[in-house]
Amino acid sequence: MTQPVSGTTKGGGQAAAAPRRRKKLTWDKVSFMLVFLGVPFVLYIIFVISPFIQAFIYSFTNWSGFSPKYDFVGLSNYVRIFQDNLFLKALGNNILLLVVVPLVTIVLSLALAVVVTVGGSSKGQVKGLKGSGFYRVVSFFPYTIPAIAIGIMWGQIYDPSNGLLNGLLRAVGLSGFKDYPWLGDSRTAMLASMFVIIWGFVGFYMVLFIAGIKGIPAELYEAARIDGAGRLRTAMNITIPMIRDNIQTAYVYLGIVALDAFVYMAALFPNAGGPENSTLVMAQQLFFTAFQRGQFGVATAMGVVMAVATLGFSGLVFLVNRLTGGKDQELV
Amino acid sequence: MKMQNQPFARRGFLRGALATAAVIPMGGALASCAAGGGSGGGSNATGTVSADNPFGMAGSSTVDAVIFDGGYKTDYVQFAANVAEKKFQGSTFKVTPSTAISAELQPRFAGGNPPDLVDNSGAQSIGISTILDQLEDLQGVVNANNYEGTKISDTLYEGVLAPGTFGGKVAAINYALTIYGFWYSASLFKDNGWTPPKTWDEAFALGEKAKAQGKYLFLWGKEAATYYQELAFASAIKEGGQDVRLNIENLKPNAWKQDAITKVFEALEKHIKAGHFKPGGSGTQFTAAQAQWSNNQDALLYPSGSWIENEMKDQTKSGFQMTGAPVPTVTSGSKMPYEALHSGAGEPFIVPSQGKNVPGGKELLRAMLSKEAATNFAKTKLAPTIVKGTVPADGFGSTALVSQIKMLDGAGKNVFNWQVFDLYGTNKDQLVVWNAFLDGKSSAAQLADALQQISDKVANDPSIKKVDIK
Repeated sequence: MTQPVSGTTKGGGQAAAAPRRRKKLTWDKVSFMLVFLGVPFVLYIIFVISPFIQAFIYSFTNWSGFSPKYDFVGLSNYVRIFQDNLFLKALGNNILLLVVVPLVTIVLSLALAVVVTVGGSSKGQVKGLKGSGFYRVVSFFPYTIPAIAIGIMWGQIYDPSNGLLNGLLRAVGLSGFKDYPWLGDSRTAMLASMFVIIWGFVGFYMVLFIAGIKGIPAELYEAARIDGAGRLRTAMNITIPMIRDNIQTAYVYLGIVALDAFVYMAALFPNAGGPENSTLVMAQQLFFTAFQRGQFGVATAMGVVMAVATLGFSGLVFLVNRLTGGKDQELV
Repeated sequence: MKMQNQPFARRGFLRGALATAAVIPMGGALASCAAGGGSGGGSNATGTVSADNPFGMAGSSTVDAVIFDGGYKTDYVQFAANVAEKKFQGSTFKVTPSTAISAELQPRFAGGNPPDLVDNSGAQSIGISTILDQLEDLQGVVNANNYEGTKISDTLYEGVLAPGTFGGKVAAINYALTIYGFWYSASLFKDNGWTPPKTWDEAFALGEKAKAQGKYLFLWGKEAATYYQELAFASAIKEGGQDVRLNIENLKPNAWKQDAITKVFEALEKHIKAGHFKPGGSGTQFTAAQAQWSNNQDALLYPSGSWIENEMKDQTKSGFQMTGAPVPTVTSGSKMPYEALHSGAGEPFIVPSQGKNVPGGKELLRAMLSKEAATNFAKTKLAPTIVKGTVPADGFGSTALVSQIKMLDGAGKNVFNWQVFDLYGTNKDQLVVWNAFLDGKSSAAQLADALQQISDKVANDPSIKKVDIK
C-alpha cells in the first residue's frame, strides 16, 4: 500500500522528494488518506495479516483446534509432515498439477484468443474468424459455473456405467471402455481431473488474452503482413511478446489454482484421495488433518508449507520472465 | 531520471500486490484457525433438582442443540424438543441443523461456547478423541427415569452404550440403532429359489448362479468401498471371536494378518478374481452404485447398515422387499454363530461441559429417550432407536425393519460393535486401499499390508491419544 510513496523517495532522489514532504497536511488530504489508505490498511491488517501471523504461530503448537489450550512444540510439526508419506505424495501431486495445468491452459487459451482476434482472413483489415463473437461467448461459459458444480457434473460424465463419456466411446464402437472407471483408475484419475480444471479456466484466460491483444496497435500486424509474415509468425513474434505481462499474470494465478485444487478434487473424489492417492492434494490433507483428526497445529504447518510453495512459485515465474528477456529488463 | 523510475515504482507495487495474492490461499485455508482465548460458558444457572427435573435445568432457560442434518434429517429432535417444551413451560429448545459439524462447531469449541447438545455425526464429524475431556459423562442421563417413569437404562437394547463409552465414561449416547449385514431383494431371491449365503463357500456358489443370469453378486461405490471392510471385519470376528476385534481395536502389530481376517480377505479375493464384483465401482458415486443394486438389480447383495432402506427410498424398484441377513462366517465351526450381528448405535449425541445450559442439553436427550419420541423416530425413519419395544410386528409396513428386529432377536447376546476407525479417523486412508483391492489392483496380502500400515501409523504417533478398548 505504501509502495508508491517510498518509490518516489527512492527513485526521485532527495531533491525531488524533499519539497513534497514540506507541504502542509490539509484536512482534504488527511481525510483522503484516512478513507483510501487508513481504512483498507486496517481491514487488511485484521483480515489478512493477523490470520497469517496467527497461523504461523499455531504451526509451532500442538493445538487440537477444539480447545483453547495448546503447548509450543517447536519445529516438530514441520519435521512430522515432511516424514509423512501421504503429505509428500500430496505435495508431489500439487507439483504435477503446477507443471501441467498452467501450461496447457495458457497454450490453449492463447491459441483460441489469437484465432478469434487476428486469425481471420489475411486480406483487408486484421480481424478474427467469422463468428468470433459467438465462439468468445461460448468458450466463456464454463467459467460462469461454480467450481463445485463443475466437479459434480464431470463426476457424472465420467461415471463408468451411465456416464456420458463411456456412452460416447461405446457409441463409436470402443466397447473396451464399458465400465471403465476414469476416476477410479490411478492411470487416468489425475489426467481426468486436470482436464476438468483446464476445461473450467480456458474461457476466462482466453478473454483475458483477447483484451491484451486488442491493446496491440493494428499497424504492427499490418506491417508484419506486408513484410510477408504468416499467421504463426505473427503470433510468435508479435502477439506473444506484446502480451508477455498478461501471460505472466495468468501463469501466477493458474499456479495458485494448481497448488490449491481443493474444490475440484473434493468434488471428484469425496472423502478420500483418489485411486492410490493419485489425486490427493495438500489442501485436502490439511482439511482432513484439521477437522477429522483434530490436529490443527500440524494442519497449519501444512498451510504454511503451501504458502511458501506458492510464494516460491510466483517468484520463479517472475525470475524466468526476467531471465528470458521480459519487458521489465528493457526498461531497467 | 524521474520519468524512468516512475514505472519502476509502479511495477514494484504491482509485484507486491501479486505476491500478496499468492499468499491468499494460506489465509483462506486457515481463516478459521483463530482460537478465542475465552473460557466462557460453564457458568450454568441451575434450577432445583427433582424427580421431574433430574438434572436441575433452570426455569425458562434456552437450550441450544446443533443436529447433524443427514439421512435422518433433524425433525426427530424437533419432535423431542416439542415434547420437552410441553413439560418445561417457558423454556425454549432450539434445534439447529448442520451438515458440517466439525467445521461449524470448531470455532465454538475453541472459543469456549459450544452448544448444549450436539449430534456429532456425518462425514465431517469431530474426531471424538479430540474433545473427549471436554464432554459430560452421560451416565446420569441413563440412570434417570424417562418421561414415562421407567429408568432409562432398563429401556435400552444390550450393549448400545458401548460405542459411546471411552475409558469408563459415557461420553456419547448413540441414538439410532444400526444393524449391519447383507441387504437383498426378498422377492428376487424367492423367484430364483436363492437364499442368503451362510458361509463364504455358499456365497461363491451364489455368485456363480448370478453370473449365469448375467448379474453380479456385489457392487460398490467409490466413497463407500469401506462397507466391504465392515463386511470383512464382521465376518472375521464371527469366525475368530472377540479377540480378533480387540487386536484391531487396540492397534496391535500384525492385527490385520490374523488368521480369521486373512481367510475372509482371501474369500473376497476369490470373488473379485471370478468377476463377481461389478467393475467400475472405484469410479462410481456411491448412491449411483447403490441404485444399480436397488433399482436395476445388477447385483444381488449389498453390505451396508440399516440406513440403506431410507437412503434409497426413492430409487428402489417397486416390490423389491428389501431384507437384511447376517454376513457369512468362514466355516461352520466359527467361534460365534452365524446369527451373531454387528450392531452399533449411531448418531452420537454429546453434551459439551462448556455449554451454557448443560442440564438443558441432558434434558433434551432425556426427552429423546422417552418412549413417545423414540416411537416417533422408528415410525418416521423406519429404523429402530436404542430404546426397546418401539417397533410393532408389522414394522410399520417395512420388510427391512421387520428383518432388523428379527436379526436382533436371533443374535441375542451375540452382538458386537467397534469404535477404532471412527475414533482415529482412518476411514479416508482405508477407502483408498479398499478401492484398489475391490478393483482387482491389489491382492489380499497387499490389502492386509496396507491396512496394517494405516494402523501402525496411528499406533506409532505419540501425539494421538490412544483409548484402551475392551
